[in-house]
Amino acid sequence: MSFTDTVTLDIVKDSLLAIGDEIFYGFAQTAMSPIIYETLDYACGIADADGELLTQGNGACGFIGLIAPMIGEIIGKFGKGNMRPGDVFIINDPYRGGGTHLSDIGMVMPVFYEDEIVAFVGNKAHWGDVGGMSPGSFTTDSAEVFQEGLRFSGVRLMDAGEINTDVTDIIFANVRFPEAANGDMWGQISSLRTGYNRISELCGKYGKGLLLQSMARLMDQGEAAARARLKEMPKGVYEAEQFMDDDGRGNLVNIKVKVTISDDEFVADFTGSSPQVMSPVNTGYSSLCAGVKVAYMSIVNPGLAVNDGVFRVMKVIAEEHSVLMCDAPAPTSCYYESMLYALDTVWKALAPAFPEYLGAGHMLSVCAVILSGAHHKSGLPFLIVEPTGGGWGASRGKDGETGQFCVGDGETYNVPIEMAETRYGIRVEEYSLNTDGKGAGEFRGGSGAVRSYRALTDGQMFSASFGRNKFPAWGADGGHDGSYNYFEFHRADGTVEGPMGVTARTILNNGDLARMITCTGGGYGPPEKRDPERVAADVKDGYISLEQAEKDYGVIVDPGTFAVRGLKRGEA
Amino acid sequence: MRIATDIGGTFTDLVALDGQGNICIVKGDTTPPDYERGVIAALEASGIKPTEVSDFIHGATTIINALTERKGAKTGLITTKGFRDVLEIARCNRPDLFNLVFAKPRPFIPRHLRFEVEERVAHDGAVITPLNKGDIAKAVEALKKEGVEAVAVCYINSYANGAHERETAEYIRELWGDVFVAASVEVTREWREYERTSTAALNAYVGPVASRYIDKLEKKLEEAGVKAGKYFMQSNGGATSFSWAKTAPISMVESGPVAGVFGAAVLGQIIGEKQIIALDVGGTTAKCSLIDGGEVKITTNYRIERDERNAGYPIMVPVVDIVEIGNGGGSIAWIDDAGSLRVGPKSAGAMPGPVAYGRGGTEPTTTDACLVAGRLSAKNFDSAVDIGAVKEALMSRVGGPLGVDAEQAATSVIRVAESNMYNALKLISVRRGYDPRDFALVAFGGGGPMHATALADELGIGKVIIPVAAAVFSAWGMLMTDLRHDYIQTKIRMLDEAAPDEWNAMWGALLEEAKSGFAAHGVQDSALAYSYYADMRYAGQEHTVKVQTPAPSWDDAAKAEIVERFHAAHEHYYTYRLEGVAVEVVNLHLAVHGHMQKPELNRLEKRGKDAGIALKERRRAFFTGSGWLEADVYERAALPAGARIAGPAIVEEKAASTLVGAGWALTVDDYGNLIIERAGAPANEGRDGK
Repeated sequence: MSFTDTVTLDIVKDSLLAIGDEIFYGFAQTAMSPIIYETLDYACGIADADGELLTQGNGACGFIGLIAPMIGEIIGKFGKGNMRPGDVFIINDPYRGGGTHLSDIGMVMPVFYEDEIVAFVGNKAHWGDVGGMSPGSFTTDSAEVFQEGLRFSGVRLMDAGEINTDVTDIIFANVRFPEAANGDMWGQISSLRTGYNRISELCGKYGKGLLLQSMARLMDQGEAAARARLKEMPKGVYEAEQFMDDDGRGNLVNIKVKVTISDDEFVADFTGSSPQVMSPVNTGYSSLCAGVKVAYMSIVNPGLAVNDGVFRVMKVIAEEHSVLMCDAPAPTSCYYESMLYALDTVWKALAPAFPEYLGAGHMLSVCAVILSGAHHKSGLPFLIVEPTGGGWGASRGKDGETGQFCVGDGETYNVPIEMAETRYGIRVEEYSLNTDGKGAGEFRGGSGAVRSYRALTDGQMFSASFGRNKFPAWGADGGHDGSYNYFEFHRADGTVEGPMGVTARTILNNGDLARMITCTGGGYGPPEKRDPERVAADVKDGYISLEQAEKDYGVIVDPGTFAVRGLKRGEA
Repeated sequence: MRIATDIGGTFTDLVALDGQGNICIVKGDTTPPDYERGVIAALEASGIKPTEVSDFIHGATTIINALTERKGAKTGLITTKGFRDVLEIARCNRPDLFNLVFAKPRPFIPRHLRFEVEERVAHDGAVITPLNKGDIAKAVEALKKEGVEAVAVCYINSYANGAHERETAEYIRELWGDVFVAASVEVTREWREYERTSTAALNAYVGPVASRYIDKLEKKLEEAGVKAGKYFMQSNGGATSFSWAKTAPISMVESGPVAGVFGAAVLGQIIGEKQIIALDVGGTTAKCSLIDGGEVKITTNYRIERDERNAGYPIMVPVVDIVEIGNGGGSIAWIDDAGSLRVGPKSAGAMPGPVAYGRGGTEPTTTDACLVAGRLSAKNFDSAVDIGAVKEALMSRVGGPLGVDAEQAATSVIRVAESNMYNALKLISVRRGYDPRDFALVAFGGGGPMHATALADELGIGKVIIPVAAAVFSAWGMLMTDLRHDYIQTKIRMLDEAAPDEWNAMWGALLEEAKSGFAAHGVQDSALAYSYYADMRYAGQEHTVKVQTPAPSWDDAAKAEIVERFHAAHEHYYTYRLEGVAVEVVNLHLAVHGHMQKPELNRLEKRGKDAGIALKERRRAFFTGSGWLEADVYERAALPAGARIAGPAIVEEKAASTLVGAGWALTVDDYGNLIIERAGAPANEGRDGK
């Protein structure tokens, strides 16, 4: 290949990445479900004609690399020869390629140029409701997938550009918010069509041959960059094991990993983790891989463009029927709990060897809240499905971040209070930091958050899954542990229920308050090494108390002036 | 004499227009930290008599610098009880997805300077808890002790009822006369508490700095004898009086960059172009913006310090919608880990600048590549150019790693830089449902004219315009500005839910506020022009589309018209419409223009078809898409009106160089603008998707 060609290939490659961005941002603009347009709980990607991922835009970090397996599943089921221009397929099967939970609706569209498939575009978005036993569809007490909503194991939604109304009729008759479903569905289709058009334009401009070469170059570059980085990494076997809260029936669930980094491979082996359980915290293999990919990316190069080339050297092993590779009919509503625990366990295993990339443990859980009921003014039904932000762990040289969503989220936004109060039948009474002062360290864990909802109508239903409720965010390198995620109910009559980490459809009546509290992240390094002036500043800012300054950090701070009065530290 | 001065990072530009329409241009140095010194120096250099100045319009980087360099005032914040951490929690997002040691933006106001006050307003504006003034007094006491200079106030739901905020601001001023107080509703009445709190916080943070700067500048100008009206350029593409500017300095955050875009719109009006893509290529960035129907687009979704990896800080004030990428003349070329050539976003800046400047720069930039590619002449640089050093830098950083010679390295850098600009231009056009073939490209800034016809080729654009004063075009734009203020009020209602009279009452309140605001600053009602917009969406959606609406009073027919305009706009941007789904209004947006008297532009005296008199030389240069070509090189200042030049050709002027690609023909218009049109039909791009 001549030199000029490589620059042209890079220019085509950049155009391809720009298309990936375009279809990603375009979709959020038209979506109907707040979980999509505010929390950007969706992903869009482009794959080559064989279904290998070329580029992916993620709102939620945990969607990384889920688009390609979904496309692969559709290719395998229908065969490329049976596809026509304008076809769109719908898929959300948790146990098949790209599966997460039923709420995440995937769509796939082949891109034709001159009667040949040159690429695929796909997207996956969390719909507010897909039917099932519980408003918002994902719940914490399902025992089988059949309770969690509609399941599509790959169905043709559009046939050569015509919408298949037989399918949409089934959808709209089985979900609680058919208008929103219709809006989200068209938003997804529109985004796929945009991708289709742009890729055809690129073919028209540069020629099909050049586009295909450019796709290959993109992936080869990704692989080369990953391999080069792998060579520099400290080689070895890194192990960690921890309990994730429990299976909802009081039985602890074990997550165990052995990560092996060699010159040419990164292998995460979860053999020995618990079998699948009868509550919806199981994850399918695709999402397990997505979790590992996040940890892998963080040490390979967080800034690297994501494509399947980058993942050619990564391997994930899990046992069938395990909580990390479940099969039907295991429920997966809260799949992200086990997926994130798997990610966190890899993180914990690697943290000592990669201190510049990985710090202490964070809030871990999505801390998802689902609240439904009637609006106090309009009387119309509303539905909240949202994550809750919390504290992150400290790392070498840096305090932990405060009030951030968990690692599985990403370019994900909280719902503004003013928007929540307009749309939902609630009043937000507090949105502040949880300054419990935990996570002491040379670098301090970041504070979690407190968010309270007062119900303004009777009969609202509250479901939530707050993982990391029984085991705290872990400290690293001598830093203290952080705290726990939980929520509690303050009834109008003054009684308090909780704290707890899981509930399904708890009724809130007018005046009842749900209070969500997320944990402070783990500390990094021994607290007695923290600069006393920073300890005093922490007291002044209210992140820690006077008592904690003295007891955890050995610093006596003046309560009036917040000056350092003295030290009570042992010999270092 | 109307004068505009624009303080940029490196240069302070002055453009003036006398009563006969003659233009005067001065490019002086920017003089931190006493920026007003550079302004006065430029004024002196222009030779203009201060007493003859009729209007003085000013744009400056003072505000943005105070923010990015963290040189604002020590600031306190007062919030509703329960919400002092909203500023720190922000939106919980992490753009840098896989960086697990990321740092979110630090709040400008630390936690110990954030205080809570008992009060509460509901989403519909009803008062739930009355304002506790005792809490305010306590907060003021504490903030005084801390020695803050400015206080921001932002309460939950104040967009729906700002009474508590206003009362608080007044009470603070009463208790503490010399503190700068910024209530959020004084600058924005849109919902989203974090964005509004951030806007108030940053407005307070820059308030004292801005006031001091404006006062100093005003004093210096008065001392120099400038008695004329003094105006500050705002981010919305309009100007405001100095006194008004001091109350909402955050509205000036993008004052320089937007002026060029606004200038392109004005130029379009003069020469009859309503569909314009404006491209401004400066030293460190390229900025572009789309002008539809002669109007610049305004957005309030603006953030500073936001990029692919950082969430940045929102400022919810009207800003001309600009896409900016790190690709200017000083952008550095480098090879990434994967072995691909990249250009920018890192820039050599003004110091040391490109290698060609001879100020110690060792990293090759787009400017260096353009020199080696024959697009720039070594003779046009301020000092002697060491071409050997330039080639060496290109070879060591680009040519060597890629295995090519210096010329190929140079042309590759240009191609990648133009590809970056091309993607940015697509972002503002194709991505938003516009076909670039319907637009003229107005290119300016030091680098814009050099890339314009090549980019137009890529986009299928048939007409390129290089304005007079291309290198100081932002200042030219300021010269052409009117007074402008935007009044945006969040009001979430189904369009059909409220009767026409209700809508008319809301418009009436906004109009009243606008009129009294202008009157307070000495502008009569009769000099005002009004434009009406609504930010709208389908029920259930979140993001909105801005639609120009008929002027009130609305009746049922007007409402029907608005709905149809919304459907059309939604389809335009997002390819589909949802007939039958209810349409909701989120914001009412009133834009008020206060007309300012402006002189007619003068026409060139010299006329004639022959460009030959301006011919300087003939040299080999690289034209993207065509390769190396022999090109005639002309001196712009010597070209008469009516002169015609066929590409490939180069037209040089001080601080800019226009490339006329092969297949393009240039005509100098009556005002001295270069109008470059493509011979033959515009290229057709396939758009046949399903």
